[in-house]
Amino acid sequence: MTELSMTVNGVVRRAAAAPTVLLSTFLRESLKLTGTHVGCDTSQCGACTVIVDGRSIKSCTMLAVEADGAAITTIEGVAKSDGTLHPVQEAFRAHHALQCGFCTPGMVMASVALLAHTPNPTDAQVRHGLEGNMCRCTGYQNIVDAVLAASQSMKGA
Amino acid sequence: MDTFTFKRAASVAEAVAAATAGVDAKFLAGGQTLLPVMKQGLAAPSDLVSLARVAAMQGIGVNGGMISIGAMMRHADVAAHGEIKALLPALSVLAGGIADPHVRNRGTIGGSLANNDPAADYPAAVLGLGATVVTDRRRIAADDFFQGMFTTALEAGELITRVEFPVPERAGYIKFPHPASRYALVGVMASKSAQGVRVAVTGAGACVFRATALEQALAKSFTPGALDGVAVGADDLTSDRAGSASYRAHLITVLAKRAVARALEVRS
Amino acid sequence: MTEHARFGKSQVRVEDQRFLTGQGRYIDDVNRPKQKHAAFVRSPHAHARVVTMDVSAARALPGVALIVTGAEWAARGFGPLPCRSPSKVNRDGTPFKEPTRHCLASDTVRYVGEPVAMVVAGTADEARRAADAVIVEYAELASVTDRAAALGDDAAQLWPEVPNNLCLDFEQGNRAAVEAAMATAKHVVRLDMGNNRLTAVPMEPRGAIADFDAATGQYTLVNCSQNIHANRDLMASMLKIDKAKLHHLAPDIGGGFGAKNSVYSEPVVMLYAASKVGCPIKWIADRTEAFLSDTHGRDQQSTVTLALDEHGKFLALHVDTVGNVGAACGTMGPFTPTGGTARTTGSVYAIPAILYTSKAVFTNTVQTDPYRGAGRPEAVFHVERIVEFAARTLGIDPVALRRQNLIKTEQLPYKTAVGLEIDCGDFPAVMERVLAMSDRPGYAARVATSRAKGLRRGFAVTPYLETSGGAPHEEARLAFRADGTVVLSVGTHSTGMGHETALAQIAADTLGIDLTRIRFVQADTDATSIGGGHGGSRGIEVGGSAVLKVARMVIEKARGIAAHLLNSHVDDITFKAGVLSDTKTGQSVALDAVIAAAGDTSRLPQDMSAGALDTTAKFERETYTVPNGAHACEVEVDPETGVIAVDKFWCVDDFGSVINPMLADGQVMGGIVQGLGQALLEEVVYDPQTGQLLTASLLEYALPRADHVPRMEIAFFEGAPTKRNPLGAKGSGEAGCCGATPVIVNAVLDALHEYGVRHIEMPLTSEKVWSAITGASA
Repeated sequence: MTELSMTVNGVVRRAAAAPTVLLSTFLRESLKLTGTHVGCDTSQCGACTVIVDGRSIKSCTMLAVEADGAAITTIEGVAKSDGTLHPVQEAFRAHHALQCGFCTPGMVMASVALLAHTPNPTDAQVRHGLEGNMCRCTGYQNIVDAVLAASQSMKGA
Repeated sequence: MDTFTFKRAASVAEAVAAATAGVDAKFLAGGQTLLPVMKQGLAAPSDLVSLARVAAMQGIGVNGGMISIGAMMRHADVAAHGEIKALLPALSVLAGGIADPHVRNRGTIGGSLANNDPAADYPAAVLGLGATVVTDRRRIAADDFFQGMFTTALEAGELITRVEFPVPERAGYIKFPHPASRYALVGVMASKSAQGVRVAVTGAGACVFRATALEQALAKSFTPGALDGVAVGADDLTSDRAGSASYRAHLITVLAKRAVARALEVRS
Repeated sequence: MTEHARFGKSQVRVEDQRFLTGQGRYIDDVNRPKQKHAAFVRSPHAHARVVTMDVSAARALPGVALIVTGAEWAARGFGPLPCRSPSKVNRDGTPFKEPTRHCLASDTVRYVGEPVAMVVAGTADEARRAADAVIVEYAELASVTDRAAALGDDAAQLWPEVPNNLCLDFEQGNRAAVEAAMATAKHVVRLDMGNNRLTAVPMEPRGAIADFDAATGQYTLVNCSQNIHANRDLMASMLKIDKAKLHHLAPDIGGGFGAKNSVYSEPVVMLYAASKVGCPIKWIADRTEAFLSDTHGRDQQSTVTLALDEHGKFLALHVDTVGNVGAACGTMGPFTPTGGTARTTGSVYAIPAILYTSKAVFTNTVQTDPYRGAGRPEAVFHVERIVEFAARTLGIDPVALRRQNLIKTEQLPYKTAVGLEIDCGDFPAVMERVLAMSDRPGYAARVATSRAKGLRRGFAVTPYLETSGGAPHEEARLAFRADGTVVLSVGTHSTGMGHETALAQIAADTLGIDLTRIRFVQADTDATSIGGGHGGSRGIEVGGSAVLKVARMVIEKARGIAAHLLNSHVDDITFKAGVLSDTKTGQSVALDAVIAAAGDTSRLPQDMSAGALDTTAKFERETYTVPNGAHACEVEVDPETGVIAVDKFWCVDDFGSVINPMLADGQVMGGIVQGLGQALLEEVVYDPQTGQLLTASLLEYALPRADHVPRMEIAFFEGAPTKRNPLGAKGSGEAGCCGATPVIVNAVLDALHEYGVRHIEMPLTSEKVWSAITGASA
């Protein structure tokens, strides 16, 4: 077991973990941040997407020990501390971009990351940017619309 | 996942020493292939040597006609790099088409090459652009590096540190993704430089290979039309549910034409 | 009298707040103190005898608390997994074959992934390691996984008591009339077509936590299931316990699509194990396990024959199907490829004679059971492919041929030749509307643009109908708390559809209260006495009708209380916009004041006591409703590679009255994309020699991703609300995949018409398309 320390959603969190522990497991079980979901075991579905040092990654395919010292944002840390939703979250709600909600944390994290490096994406860029995230409920269109809408609202912010 | 000893190397020498000390040690670069394989129990190394903090394996340098990419550079880094976009857009396109954005944020060029998955993209870049793989102990020409399915010229404990790409006159890459995995069902890199024409094919066989018939035709005229009627034999190609050998053979020529067309569209 | 409830507003969902902030609570987020973890030992063979099982090494591993083997399970005398197929009788009147399937196999395994033992250990990892250490010696037997091959005399036999693996030999319709029409018709066209085997792949894999309280004998099962009440009854019966002793409930569910409907082995064995080890037991499937053990869907092979007269009028339709039910009967057994497909055969067309014959067969594969549509998408596919094929064969415009044969509005109500009673709709209007949306005038230019890029463009329109309603009985309950909260408990089950909003909308609008006051409870055997769960797109039409009924009952009671408070006569009390008024005196009292009074016996009429407004309603639907619509799409095909891109998609749906258009849109889009998946990408494949599952991960099973999907334009036809429920609603959940699959396939074949390609089996992979082009032109 190694004592790990990382800044998660702005707060320094410390916990011990064996080297085999995946970041997704560490977040869910050690830090009790269960918003990060695990939907597959082959790094395909993207439900576990979180942002590590500014980059979106699949937390089921990263060792927790590799995130030692990193700054991590999970779905629990996207909204402001006063509860105000992030424009991406707000747009997901307004556009009915989620149904069962299981892929949603990964979709939101992927979308936040996408808009960070492509603030004005086209429809096709959004679809390409979300190719690492699977949704079985929505048919994706409302997700794409939500990301496009969020890109507009974030411009005004 | 079976347990292992985790080591973090600060330098190339330290990484190589740590790997050599382990019974069955493996380097951990981005982990995007290794970790899924370990989760499935298909690999159980005794030691994992993290390369994340090895400075010599970072960075992208452009010097004259050569682009030098640190082995720990992520696919996203390569895809987004301004000078690569300008000088060798086929390489940015290739890197930007690997897997998905999140995998591109972790996966590295060195890890991909060392693994040499038969359907990975980077082997096509290295072979199709005549790159040189630089390790802790030597320089390996692309033509010597890839030796078979998941097999390379790397010795035990040998570590890729950088990859050097000569800037060609023209180059284009087209990938035909597997519908589920998004690995290359077939991917073709076609390039033309002072050293000649190269056409490298990934996904279609047990290991990336050069399509010599296509190269010969393109050597006469680096145009899509030069490949009309030039067929690639299906004998040694992969057949699976996603594509028969004959379909893959057909795709190689089609994609090579499109790769050449793309190479001619943009100045390499 | 109550004001007529008004709905139809797009209301953003109340459940989204928790889902968007990571506060959803799915099965893997639920933990119990002192819980242990289960792992299952599963068969690596498609068909084998279990010779010996040695658990001694596994038992010695760290953390292992219990191992339940198939032999122990058999010895305990628990009941078998049940089959509740409504179709149970062979065409000759004899009963269908229902071999006994137990939760854990003891003597013979019949598909890869069949559970043979369960290990309980301290951690999931310890349980997995111990399961891997259970040594099972198998004697392999010949296997068969293909639906058609299974009927052969040479095929491996799964069950000694089931000759030729034939589970049910089914027939519905009018054989004599169909045969007569076929014999004399001017045109008879015939086409073989498959409905590929699919798996639902809800993004959340299955899982459960079982617990047992020795002091009370009470079992609790928190289960990732979409069918809580019915499965509680069935599981209690299997365990031979009083159903009142099993509290079954679901947390948030990450998608179901049918795959979480069935009774599964794992939770049943876990309940037993919980009583043995005396602590809660948790199990979460990994994705590979989900591919192996979730019920699959579709997997039918059909010969479809259509007879037409010299003018193109349809005379008779015969669909002859072989349907794969898997290694034994699932919860719905052979229903899907038999009665489930027969019911809507013929779809929206006036076809005087229809015959549906079907053989449901056992194979060495996991059970098939309802997957989104459960037979209705197959039925629409059959008729839409044969109509398209007939049009091409006879040189008739496919749109004109459809237009000619649609059931006309003046023919309604219409009873089809397979007995479906269509009460309302306007099939011609719906199809014309989707044609109008799809910019036919601009099509020629788009074809030319595609061709200039080396691509071929194709178009198709396909109407559809289906039936919705699922289980007929439902319950809804309203309870009023002193803090103003209104608790709405229902027996339906949202696994993502948004009932927490849509059903609450019905209650809130009917009562004239704010939506935010409603606390929604579902999927809990303690909250309602019965519940039909989710299946058959029943949430709104059956669940919503129950909610409307209970809300109206509350208002009736409120009128009585208001009359008491106002010293009025109840007949003079009206309810409007949250206020109860005496029409004679003009006096009024707010519903909230009535709610407050209802908590205080002293303020109530003599025959009422505190809690008087708390009301439970049971609702029983009439026969199924008939959602219908028409889809249109354009595709581009790259003839050099065979790659298909669905470029444009339009759809008009008749769901009767739509409660929340935004949510209905979402249902349609999700359904369309699953239909697209069936048409182009998805297929469960077992190796025909070994019976191994070749598509056991998302690396092999292709799910649609965002960039596979076209922009969809959706409109609702609201001119034909059904009278079969008080809301006028018809189900929306399964419609999308009924229309999308055939319209995409037909559009691709339209694009390939110039090459002489007339049919390609689904999924239309690029290689199949390329082979069809090169084969046809060779």
